[in-house]
Amino acid sequence: MKKPAKTHKIKMMEAQLATKLNRQVVGSLVGCVHCGMCNDCCHYVLSHPDDPKMTPSYKADQVRKLFKANHDWTGSVFPWWVGADKAALTDDDLEELKDIAFGTCTNCRRCTINCPMGVDTATLNRLMRGLLTNVGVMPEGVRVVSKDQWELGNQMGVLKEDYIDTLEWMSEELEEDLGHGEAEIPIDKAGAKIMYAINPREVKYDPRTIKEAALIFWAAGEDWTMPTEGWDNTNFGLFSGDDGLGGASAKREYDKARELGVDKIVISECGHGYRSTRHEGVNWSGDAEPFPMESSVMTMLRYIKEGKIVVDPSKNSQRVTFHDSCNNARSCGFYEEPRELLRLVTTDFQEMYPNRAEGFCCTGGGGAMSMSEYTPRRLKSGEIKANQIRATGAEVVVTSCHNCVDGLGDVIKHYELGCEVKQLVDLVANALVLEECAVMKGRPATAAAPEAPAPTAEVEEAAAPVVAVEAPLAGRKILVVDDEEDIRTFLVTVFEDAGAEVMEASDGDECIEKAKTYKPDIISLDLSMPGKSGVDAFVELRKTAETESIPVCVVTGHPEFRQVIYDRPVPPPEGYLNKPVDEDKLVAYVAHIVETKEEKAN
Amino acid sequence: MHESSSLLHTAEVVHWAALIIMAVVYSLRLRWLFKFKPGADKSAPGAPDRTDKERGAFYSLFNVAMPWSMESTRKGFAFYLTFVIFHLGVVAGISLAFLSTITPNLVANPVFAWICGSTLFLAFLVALYRVFRRLFTPVMKLISTPDDYFSLFMLTAWFGLGAVTQAHLAGVQGFESVNILVAYLFLTSFFLIYVPFSKISHYLYYPFTRIWIGRALGHRGSYPIVRG
Repeated sequence: MKKPAKTHKIKMMEAQLATKLNRQVVGSLVGCVHCGMCNDCCHYVLSHPDDPKMTPSYKADQVRKLFKANHDWTGSVFPWWVGADKAALTDDDLEELKDIAFGTCTNCRRCTINCPMGVDTATLNRLMRGLLTNVGVMPEGVRVVSKDQWELGNQMGVLKEDYIDTLEWMSEELEEDLGHGEAEIPIDKAGAKIMYAINPREVKYDPRTIKEAALIFWAAGEDWTMPTEGWDNTNFGLFSGDDGLGGASAKREYDKARELGVDKIVISECGHGYRSTRHEGVNWSGDAEPFPMESSVMTMLRYIKEGKIVVDPSKNSQRVTFHDSCNNARSCGFYEEPRELLRLVTTDFQEMYPNRAEGFCCTGGGGAMSMSEYTPRRLKSGEIKANQIRATGAEVVVTSCHNCVDGLGDVIKHYELGCEVKQLVDLVANALVLEECAVMKGRPATAAAPEAPAPTAEVEEAAAPVVAVEAPLAGRKILVVDDEEDIRTFLVTVFEDAGAEVMEASDGDECIEKAKTYKPDIISLDLSMPGKSGVDAFVELRKTAETESIPVCVVTGHPEFRQVIYDRPVPPPEGYLNKPVDEDKLVAYVAHIVETKEEKAN
Repeated sequence: MHESSSLLHTAEVVHWAALIIMAVVYSLRLRWLFKFKPGADKSAPGAPDRTDKERGAFYSLFNVAMPWSMESTRKGFAFYLTFVIFHLGVVAGISLAFLSTITPNLVANPVFAWICGSTLFLAFLVALYRVFRRLFTPVMKLISTPDDYFSLFMLTAWFGLGAVTQAHLAGVQGFESVNILVAYLFLTSFFLIYVPFSKISHYLYYPFTRIWIGRALGHRGSYPIVRG
């Protein structure tokens, strides 16, 4: 049968490949002997034992064939002899390559460290991703996220005003917690010693970590700031294989740090963010001299060692285990510091095996969280990690990576492990003994710790005068949509206790009908419901003139649906919370969304 | 007898010529490899107290002799052993081919003959197992190319013939025909010429790929691997 002619995209990929080759890459391309020893090291292989296509060498062979057909002596003359005749030729082939490169590998690099030949298979997979991205072949989630990072400077499409608004919100929360405004988050402070760069997920889903970091910086008496530009430490270029995006994103951070004149960039807990900012970004951006950088884990550890902050590990008495981010441990040699810190702020640390550079992926690496089409396969591959976690008997899985928080959250939920995920910043903030921290030296201990023990009844009675606190949702109309009655009752109770007027709906159709009738200030929306799902209801709400401007806060037990809803061609939801949801967090989050909406309207 | 001696002489000349051809092609291969620009990591060392490029490279280069260093060899120790035997067989086979023409007395020495012959025979058995594995394991079938199959078939035949040749050189009864040695030298010649164009040339790249990944991960602080 006559072979089809190469398409334009294939020719483009071949041309691009030639520009990407260096000695190390070529070494990996020619070094594989197809011995199969990488096979049992991959979490996709171990969880899909009947699918040989999961083997790492098969994945790397996709770009190897392209290389052999164009650059290798034997492959150029006798392509069939070395498999180069099976290199991609048509655009349909590219769709299959997309599925392999993006959907069957998280670039965790576990195969790399287990290859007897030293073949860096994960780098080859990233190379293939880059070639595909260059010709526009990529999962929709990757396209959307990359576009956001190019255009807005962060991968979650957070607008500058929303980012600043969140920082101010967290400053206000800190003021409420501490009883004074000294811990306000400094923004664009020129000449500060530290510029703190974060993951946009913190702004969008978990601003609590920003508050906790701010509390720790304040407690340590640190001279720090958060920038208005170049604040996103994450870098989708690492996942998409687009070195141009990688360089541009990293350079934003470096340039802002130089503009502010800070001494150091401190990178919040994010595995790929750390690797991209601290290492790869330097190479992609062509930065002349690496800017001093460190992980916030190292910063917090130093504060404790230098006595700038004092912690009480008994405040974190649950059994904890530690999950190593692949990017941190395997690609950055960053695995001892988190353990050292963990031992200082907790009382019952149980190691997970295998660990450090040999640990397994959380399933969320390589941008997998943004590719919802591969979620079932990803969750299946999480079986390995689930077994690892289960064996520790831990109540809390600690990790230093936001992707891992989401990936592990999905695994814990899917495999019903009954534990929760935390980051070190959570534990350090919780363990702080503020009265003894650097900021309090020489001062009367007037500020109360944010998580002080609940007062006893006697103390409560004695506390006078009683100040009436205004209900945070007073006067608000909230529509609670959830098919599970007990959850609906819980949400209704929480919102009513916070002063809101609450309506209920148990499926998507009822949600739309009541949204049109009652015009609520916000909708709390479950995603997985019988009949019309929350996703479909959300899209219809956004597409209907009467309801399009009603803010929606997704409250779901299926965090893996996150990208499904963000992939829809409508404005994303204003909020997204995973069940089980903390009452205070829920109220604060919903109140913030409504207030922000009003401020914008005014 | 005269014809056999003449054929043997030809085989000896050819296999030395094949060695020269292999050396030339390998030189060109390395020249080709080093024409590509070197990848450089300009970032600051990963973990200052653990970072050591040279140590990482050393660890990486010699992890072939440290089966405990990689999970793949630690857990698959039986497979690692077959790997060791297979590669010792290659060393024995090459040694036999060249020493048979340089020092025929040495290869006839019973100690040498036993060591070399049994190594080749064990390597032959391992090669047979590898043929079976490559032909019948779904993963191996999926990733194998004609080059993979041919290289393995050729090595299997070469190990088997090598073991027989050693028996011939040691004067074992039933293996007297000089044609055994002639066939072995011709097969070795083909092997030497074919290798630089095949996957078997991986050993040429081995030191470079291992050192490069070792330096890269050593710089970051990931190599040598720490377990706890």
